[in-house]
Amino acid sequence: MDSSNSFFWTFAYDFIRGPMVWAAFIVFFAGTLFQVFRLLSFTKEQPISKLTPGPGRFIPKKADDKGKKDWVMWLKLSIAGVNPFMTIVSTIFHVLLIVMPIFVLGHNILLDNSFGVSFFSLSESVSDFLTIIVILCVAVFLYRRLFLDRVKAITTWSDYLFLSLAAAPFVTGFFAYHQVFENYRLIISLHILSGELMLMAVPFTKFVHMIYSVIIRLTVVSEYSLGRGNRTW
Amino acid sequence: MFWKQSTTGVNTKEVKAILDEKKAKMKLSLKACAHCTLCAESCFLFMGRNKDPKYMPSYKFLNSVGVLYKKKGKVDRLDLGEMRDLIWERCVLCTRCYCPVGIDIPDMIALARRVCRSQGVYPQYERD
Repeated sequence: MDSSNSFFWTFAYDFIRGPMVWAAFIVFFAGTLFQVFRLLSFTKEQPISKLTPGPGRFIPKKADDKGKKDWVMWLKLSIAGVNPFMTIVSTIFHVLLIVMPIFVLGHNILLDNSFGVSFFSLSESVSDFLTIIVILCVAVFLYRRLFLDRVKAITTWSDYLFLSLAAAPFVTGFFAYHQVFENYRLIISLHILSGELMLMAVPFTKFVHMIYSVIIRLTVVSEYSLGRGNRTW
Repeated sequence: MFWKQSTTGVNTKEVKAILDEKKAKMKLSLKACAHCTLCAESCFLFMGRNKDPKYMPSYKFLNSVGVLYKKKGKVDRLDLGEMRDLIWERCVLCTRCYCPVGIDIPDMIALARRVCRSQGVYPQYERD
């Protein structure tokens, strides 16, 4: 490697580990806040009494009966009852996607070195196992995109792109931890870069469904709303 | 697009004006759709038509409002005709479709119907 090449890689490595981390977090948090307020501006408050009970909710028979919800019925009628496999895979994937990066030991050591604070850390073997679970979930999504007619019917190139982007931090993290490739520095740079790109992409791309689903399902009232919900579109 | 699509017989300004009324919601809904197809079973027509993907709520939403948005309202009669089959023949607007992300699919289908109606494209039974 000549000196100019070496200078470029050192600069790129330092940039990815330094200013770009800050840029990624600022874009992520500011963009998320913007989208939350934007979503709330699309909906308006409505007294809940105006909305009729849906399936899974008992219609009150007596005046003092407040229409208790039948949670078993609610679950059976939801996607969890109709498509339990995908519900489990999707839930595990999304929970790990958010929780894993916070509790990985390597990330907490970096936090501790930089700010003197850190979260509780998972053991390396647990993190490794959970990373494999995330990659398996991605494999399930990829299989559906490639082979199921119903998914193929609405799949576009961007679906593959965003699935790759979601998988990239975990795949590169797995490779880096096990030092699968000789060039550790390149793999760890790709790991950091993919994580940063993903963070920045969340509020402004297809990943916005992460924010959208939480806000809409918690605030907009429907039979399947996760919260009490007192807003309508 | 390399060529300019003929929009003869379509008042594209009127179409765009209708779309603009719900532009933000439409844009965000299209972006938020993860193309997961988990909405499929919530449509009784999908279940009753041998699980044909063309009856999935997401398919109907993406191929009606999605097309209108992508083309910025500059659609032709053929596009609207295809849309008519999709949003009337394959959807009864029963509002029972369920999106795990929370997209208001019925409202989006209703928007596409409004656009079609504004251009005189709707099923015969609505004329009678």
